[in-house]
Amino acid sequence: MRRLIVLIVLLFTGTAHATPTLVDDVLAHLSTHQAVRADFTQTRDNPALAAPQVSHGELLFAVGHGMFWHTREPYDDTLVFTAGGTSRVDAQGHAQRVRDVNRGIGQVTAMLQGLLAGRSDEAARQFDIAADGDLAHWTLRFTPRQSRMARVLKDIALKGGEFLDGIEVDMANGETTRLDFSNTRDAGTPSAVEAKLLGIP
Amino acid sequence: MTSLTTSARAVLFACASLGMCLLCAWLLFGRGASPLQTDLLAMLPSTERNALAERAVERLARASGDRMILLVANADDAAAKDAARELGEALGKRPAFTSVIAELPPFDLDQLVTPFLAHRFHLLTPADRALLAAPGFDAAAALARRLNEPFGANTGPALGDDPFGWLQHWLDRQPWNGGSLVPEDDLLTAHRDDGSYVLVIANLAGSSYDDTVQRRSLGVLETAERDIVAKYPGTRVLRTGAVFYAAAARAGAERDTHVVGIASTLGIAALLLFAFRSVRPLLVAFVSTALGVIGATTITILVFGQLHLLTLVFGAALLGEAVDYSIQYLCARANAGDAWIAERGVRQVRPALLLALATSLLGYALLALVPFPALRQMAVFAIAGMTVACASVFWLLPALLRQPARAPLAAPLVRLALGWQRVASGRRALLAIAVLAVAAVPGWLRLGHDDDIHLLISPPPSLDEQAAVIRGIAGFGGGSQFWLVEGADAEQVLQREEALTDRLDRAHVGWTGMTAMLPSRKRQAENLQLSCNLAFADTIGSHPSGSELPTEGVGADRIGERTCRSRIRAALSEAGFKPDTAEAYADAYPGSPFTLADWQATPAYTPFRYLWMDRASLVLPQGNDDVATLRDLAKGLPGISLIDKPAGITALFGRYRGYASLWLGGALLLVGAAFAWRYGPRAAWRVLLPPAAGIVFSVAALGYLGEPLTLFHVMALMLVLGVGANYAVFLREGEPHSADRPGAAYAGVLLSAVTALLSFGLLALSTMPALNHFGLTLLLGIGFTALLAPVSAPGRNHA
Repeated sequence: MRRLIVLIVLLFTGTAHATPTLVDDVLAHLSTHQAVRADFTQTRDNPALAAPQVSHGELLFAVGHGMFWHTREPYDDTLVFTAGGTSRVDAQGHAQRVRDVNRGIGQVTAMLQGLLAGRSDEAARQFDIAADGDLAHWTLRFTPRQSRMARVLKDIALKGGEFLDGIEVDMANGETTRLDFSNTRDAGTPSAVEAKLLGIP
Repeated sequence: MTSLTTSARAVLFACASLGMCLLCAWLLFGRGASPLQTDLLAMLPSTERNALAERAVERLARASGDRMILLVANADDAAAKDAARELGEALGKRPAFTSVIAELPPFDLDQLVTPFLAHRFHLLTPADRALLAAPGFDAAAALARRLNEPFGANTGPALGDDPFGWLQHWLDRQPWNGGSLVPEDDLLTAHRDDGSYVLVIANLAGSSYDDTVQRRSLGVLETAERDIVAKYPGTRVLRTGAVFYAAAARAGAERDTHVVGIASTLGIAALLLFAFRSVRPLLVAFVSTALGVIGATTITILVFGQLHLLTLVFGAALLGEAVDYSIQYLCARANAGDAWIAERGVRQVRPALLLALATSLLGYALLALVPFPALRQMAVFAIAGMTVACASVFWLLPALLRQPARAPLAAPLVRLALGWQRVASGRRALLAIAVLAVAAVPGWLRLGHDDDIHLLISPPPSLDEQAAVIRGIAGFGGGSQFWLVEGADAEQVLQREEALTDRLDRAHVGWTGMTAMLPSRKRQAENLQLSCNLAFADTIGSHPSGSELPTEGVGADRIGERTCRSRIRAALSEAGFKPDTAEAYADAYPGSPFTLADWQATPAYTPFRYLWMDRASLVLPQGNDDVATLRDLAKGLPGISLIDKPAGITALFGRYRGYASLWLGGALLLVGAAFAWRYGPRAAWRVLLPPAAGIVFSVAALGYLGEPLTLFHVMALMLVLGVGANYAVFLREGEPHSADRPGAAYAGVLLSAVTALLSFGLLALSTMPALNHFGLTLLLGIGFTALLAPVSAPGRNHA
């Protein structure tokens, strides 16, 4: 069940169950960007928290390789997610394996890799997908099809235009996680550390 | 011995035989469960230094128990799931299974989490322990990171119940998370590049080793599999479980038994018909042999309570040796012509038969000394069978063979025998043996050896492959190597196991073991202290520094607990948790330790119960099977030993191969001594020469054939000695009685040899390596010995 997080990723896919043209067009469009950089703001609220937690940073996503997640606020920390696992990167660019990381996260990125590489059947299996808008402003809403999952996850919404602009995850326990992406652009040449840790030749 | 007593004896013997047959029939068919033992493990000898280790080996091997573990695979996800559902339904409807698990019952995630909440401060993963124990652990930073994890939606315990994520980490490391199966569409599913795999578990309505259970459940599975494959093309059903191995072993053994049994029966029948040119001798020979085999079966089951597959196949081959005694008697009758008197015939062959029986029994008795259950059973089977067959010749056959033979022994056979006897006796033959002996030397030098466990257990490779795939996907099914941890009580066992598993974690060797589920009390107490090791002390009024953690004594504990609660409360408030959440979490400290009783009462741990043995536990390595490395990892740790059953068997095979070679030498001396007593020292060597040379040449032939020598080859050589000595004896003893018919005695020996070759030799076709080796060696050994047997007769001038 902990792996439900995985499903967040499934957003990036999905075919059969929505207005087929829009969903397909969006995915086809997103997949033209093989590596993107973006600034992110993540806002999380949970009934246990007095106020929402907000973090800022930058990310690099490379299809087939993995993701750099560099948090700048409220602390400075860089995580790298690849198929091999999750590592923390220090200032010198050395990666240290993170053992007890929330396993879902690693799987999110791994699944994301698979989905953006064209294996898009899983999201449709798990979710009803509703699409809204047009290619310039679209929203995809993913609602769990199975009660087991619905007990944990309420729904996930994905918004964007040229790029993915935002993700909203609503959990059944009242937790919400909102990700806003800005300054999204094609990644260009990765840095030496990025190339090394993501295995980009 | 008067005619009356002959008949009376025959009647008594016939009555006893009838009783034995009835007893045998009841033992085999009348008691519900079949006494045929298909559990190959039962054939293995004890190898471990103590009984506990043996029990551990057995527990591990049977961990999958009386269940079928199936993975339904299809490239198409929906097809795989539908096929799995239908398979589950089809199996579940049949009485062959008590229950089938395909679709998961609805369950609440809370059911998995809630029982652990009371113990959450006592259970920490090694990584969290390391973090907390590190100097300057920063609780604020740790909480901030957790609260801002990317995509970090919290799916295990509620955030307020587990703000640091310790319990979630702990639950993630529980062994049920070991495989890649996740609940999906209410099915346990794994995705691989080649498609989806869905788990179906079917619990058998009985033991995996029960013949009826095997047939019924496999039949049902086969039908259901055919149906779903027809409906969902491309579906594969991967399987593992003791029942499949047992059934495969049984099928192999039954095939072997049929081939060996039927082929040798037909062959022997044809041969006897040709030799004696009458049906009566054929029937008589078969009655005697059948009684031998029935007697052997009865006594074996009475002694051991069951019959191994290996024994069954070997028993089919024993026909060829048991028939020898009646053949000798029948030859005597054929040679006597009209002068035949049944009782005199018995007196005539008795010395030869008794001597032959004695040498055979000697050979088998040595076999019985080997501490292999399977070999011991074969020996008892043979001893009983030979004795009964021989007794039937003395007590039953005279009554059945009162009339003289209608025809002498077939002339072509006698001519052939005489021809070869002339070639193969005298000086020329000795010279030839000497030349052959020299030629045998390179063969001996080329001889290798092989002591692998696969000699006794060689499951179909496809079953092993499927088991490996299932182990990779589902994370269960055990290997055969593990560490055994022993201690005086549960706590000591757990502490010792932790010493090992800490080392394994440092060496990045994966493992499955008890302490991943139940830490020792000592470790749990440390965890409790560590969870208090939060660097928030300075923000609180009465704050001991991190080094003054609660240790011992009621007073210290109480102060410690209060301090800890304050620290926890402060840490959570600082990190942005609501005050009542922080309060509730802090109040839950310290909770209670997770105990052995708790572990035993947790249903999710049921599949892992085999890891715990009260005063011992098993730790299974994952992914690393280099024995030397595994052994090194446990070096110097008290109470821990690496158990490696295959290696134990190999060592044992090797050791007994060595012993057996010595015994063979000893047996040769014993038989030589028996011959010296009967024939005098000057003639004894001639009688001993054929079997001895037969052994030497067989071994050389194995070398030339590139067959590595195994324990089973050496065991077979003992039988070659036993049987080969018979031939020399029959010839030596028979010659004086058939002086008027040159070649007749040797023809009888050849007849015996060919029947033995027909049955034992067919064992060479067996699918079981052990029997195959037996068969090949006997084929060579008996062949050589029979051909060399003429040497044993006193020199003839016409040579």
